[in-house]
Amino acid sequence: MKKEDLITKWLDNNLNSQELEAFKELDDYTELIRLDNAIKRFKPNHFDTDSELEKLNLSLKNRTQKQNNWLKPLLRVAAVITICFGFYYFTSNIDTSIKTEIAQKESISLPDESQVILNAMSTLTYNDNNWDSNRNLDLNGEAYFKVAKGEKFTVNTTSGSISVLGTEFNVKNRDDLFEVICYEGSVKVESELHSKILKPGERFLILDNIFIKDLTVIETNPYWINNESAFKSMPFSQVIAEFERQYNVSIDVNNINTKKLFTGSFGHDNIDVAIKAITIPLNLTFTRNSNKISLKRE
Amino acid sequence: MAKKLHENICEEALFNSLFKKYSNDLYNFLHYRYGEYLNPKDKTQEAFIKLWENCKKVTPSKAKSFLFTIGNNLMLNEVKHQKVVLNYQKNKPKSHTHESPEFLMEEGEYMQKLQKAISNLTEAQRTAFLLSRVEGKRHKEIAELLNISTKAVEKRIYGALKKLRETISEL
Repeated sequence: MKKEDLITKWLDNNLNSQELEAFKELDDYTELIRLDNAIKRFKPNHFDTDSELEKLNLSLKNRTQKQNNWLKPLLRVAAVITICFGFYYFTSNIDTSIKTEIAQKESISLPDESQVILNAMSTLTYNDNNWDSNRNLDLNGEAYFKVAKGEKFTVNTTSGSISVLGTEFNVKNRDDLFEVICYEGSVKVESELHSKILKPGERFLILDNIFIKDLTVIETNPYWINNESAFKSMPFSQVIAEFERQYNVSIDVNNINTKKLFTGSFGHDNIDVAIKAITIPLNLTFTRNSNKISLKRE
Repeated sequence: MAKKLHENICEEALFNSLFKKYSNDLYNFLHYRYGEYLNPKDKTQEAFIKLWENCKKVTPSKAKSFLFTIGNNLMLNEVKHQKVVLNYQKNKPKSHTHESPEFLMEEGEYMQKLQKAISNLTEAQRTAFLLSRVEGKRHKEIAELLNISTKAVEKRIYGALKKLRETISEL
């Protein structure tokens, strides 16, 4: 047998006794055996299968426990979603509020194209959400409404509520005055004691808790939206209050009888003309000191 | 055709028996091929963890090649083609010895030469050769383990031996 084959067989640990003898006769025998013995020393440290398996099972167990922790990140995500949703819900339900100061008017377009003009010192509050199905707003002060056709439209005030389907009307809700004037369509006014459906040109008026008998108006929209305040048989105190709202002045009435009725108007552009417009008809004189006006009987 | 007993290996007892069967072989394979700097023990563990994670997709008959491929890939991810240097066990110093200091020195030199020569082998040669010589495996077993033919194993081992002898005599 050739030397190469012998060595190959030896390498395969597959020599029979006869071949082994032949192998031992080879010149290379000593060298090969020396090499082989030396090679055996390259055996790695003992691999303990059992302890390694134990280690593996332990890390697999930890891993499955880790996998069970999917709940934690999920909860985190859920919390974020909840917060976002809550925030969205909160902000979408927040009321829109518009407020005017002295001598300021504000024109507002509601979500359904209804128009509101807000007079001085007034507040309007409504909610954008579900506006089309729930047209509901709160008013404190005076405003003129041009309501687009649609669902029932309700204006709530401290003195009563006004509900319409689609029309034009003015609401004035001041300290002891509650006045609704209908300019178009029909308007239903409900206060604590009185309820009335107004036709165009009709007025609903409660003054000092007294319901005032009908008085019709002929204008097609309120004067004030054209920068003029008009009064028809109104106590002078109401005129003064309105004047103060439009001009940021305080009026000292001294001992004038403010229950006296006033019919007339004043403009919102020129205080000098305006003060004359409300004093001369009642035979009053006035002295003006920056934003203080003092009235006196002539 | 015999019906397969197990479709997959997601059973703990089966998985454990696979570990007992293959872990040592896998460890030796990785150790001889890549040396111990890359932690063949850890890679063996990792390969089995991967096997468990994929247990639904692996049939018992495919488990071995799965393990060896994964183990090899884990190593390749880290290996930077540096020389693989295997450590040998130092002879325990004997309290009374007949060996002369000259012999011990010569022996030490020889081992260092051999170490260098082994690291000069190709990965394939080294793995097959050491599995044969150190682990005493038959060529057929190695062929099965490495998924190559017996002839190829024979060639690798014989080639390795030749190269070793050449390198040692050169040094």
